[in-house]
Amino acid sequence: MQELVLRHFVTNSGIGPNAVDGLLVCPAGMAGGQGADVFNHERINDALGIRPRFCETINVGGATYTVMLTRAATAIRAGLADAVLCVGAGKFPKVGAGGADLMARMISHPDFEYPYGSFIPALYALAATRHMAERGTPREALAAVAVTSREWALRHPDALMRPAGPLTIEQVLDSRPIASPFHLLDCSVPCEGGAAFLVMRGELARELTQQPAYLLGFGEHHDHGNISHASDFATMGAGVSARTAFAMAGLAPSDVDIAQLYDAFSINPILLLEETGLAEPGKGGHFYLNGAAAPDGVLPVNTYGGLLSFGHTGDASGMSMLIEGARQVMGQAGDRQVEADIALVHTYGGMMADHSTVLLGRTAR
Amino acid sequence: MTTTAPVPTLYEDTAPYWRAAVEGRFALPRCRACRRFHHHPRAWCPYCWCTDLEWAEPSGRGIVLTYTTVHQPPSPAFTAPYVLAVIELAEGPRMMANVVDCAPDTVRVGTPVQVTFEPRGDVAIPQFRPREETPS
Repeated sequence: MQELVLRHFVTNSGIGPNAVDGLLVCPAGMAGGQGADVFNHERINDALGIRPRFCETINVGGATYTVMLTRAATAIRAGLADAVLCVGAGKFPKVGAGGADLMARMISHPDFEYPYGSFIPALYALAATRHMAERGTPREALAAVAVTSREWALRHPDALMRPAGPLTIEQVLDSRPIASPFHLLDCSVPCEGGAAFLVMRGELARELTQQPAYLLGFGEHHDHGNISHASDFATMGAGVSARTAFAMAGLAPSDVDIAQLYDAFSINPILLLEETGLAEPGKGGHFYLNGAAAPDGVLPVNTYGGLLSFGHTGDASGMSMLIEGARQVMGQAGDRQVEADIALVHTYGGMMADHSTVLLGRTAR
Repeated sequence: MTTTAPVPTLYEDTAPYWRAAVEGRFALPRCRACRRFHHHPRAWCPYCWCTDLEWAEPSGRGIVLTYTTVHQPPSPAFTAPYVLAVIELAEGPRMMANVVDCAPDTVRVGTPVQVTFEPRGDVAIPQFRPREETPS
């Protein structure tokens, strides 16, 4: 998978090995249960024939790729590198073949959570139940997230669920129950995938492409490790990272044209819309029910189908969000192109624990 | 894949918690400086980093902060449906447990619960069952 991503990059980047002096990669094989290759950056250096000044294998779960962008920009500003290549590729363990148990062991406390039958959908369901009880989010709103994601996926040639056709709220509610309130179609679709992107100063980027995506602001916040230690169950810390990013960019939530919000489960974009300030507290669900996030809505969300309908690529799960945000502001989103000057991309790692927000724009500020 | 329910590993800082559970007692570390209970047990207080801790017994009362009814368990070690919950103890700390001894669809956010113990292998694990609310 990684080989495939690198081959695409080498073929299409229009640059040679001497132009890259920074490298950030994710560990290989982690979500597949083969352990984490913490020396993956060394393998890629040899594969690409590069000898960078700035180089690391980093893992912040689903937040890894927006954090890579943040680290790369910080390194470039500090003079540590001029062009940082960021690479992510991953698989998902097969759920039916013990994958659910494997992921539960990775993500739960081994003594104080795992013996109670914790596993990923159930842990997210805890956040969903709390949000529904505290904010009054209706069950149908969760289903509307899955439906909206499918609408967008129908416009992306590579979306895993595109051949499945459109989805209805009734179909989501009628699918097999997994862990209340989630049914099967509230859950993201495991698959394999990856991508690479290059971070460089504006003047260098403009030599490669007429329309780069400019990084306008970024922020991070790291809350709990295990979900039973979450500071707040209805919000999970995304607000801090979003406010940091808005302050750096000199922008407000009302300036955002599109958003890519990590949607491992149907509740997540609702939580993240409210936390990042894109929707008022308690209104994230209505945002979906009234079509605001859908094609032709006032704030398109997950314009490529998200993890729910494009696919959830294991170790590389947050990569697709960032790539879509960049493609939209670069005007390369094909049939699903939105007139977007400012894109917000929010991904997180762990059980909504590690938060990272980036703001991308069509023009430098 | 295991088909028996998983059991915790006992470490120096956590063994008193599990050993108390075997005896039907709910024990938690309490900080001698800030007087706060914490969960899970460790060698320092997560609120003030004081390392002067004592073992004490909180009331075992709490409320369901949030929950989910699991219909499709992660492995054959668990029998669905079961309720996975985060309990907020009356003394403040939160912990994960199952809500047992009741129909899963009767559990709500805010349901008052009382600790109980489930024997499992050589240990026992704290669990919670709904309790009648009594004025304190």
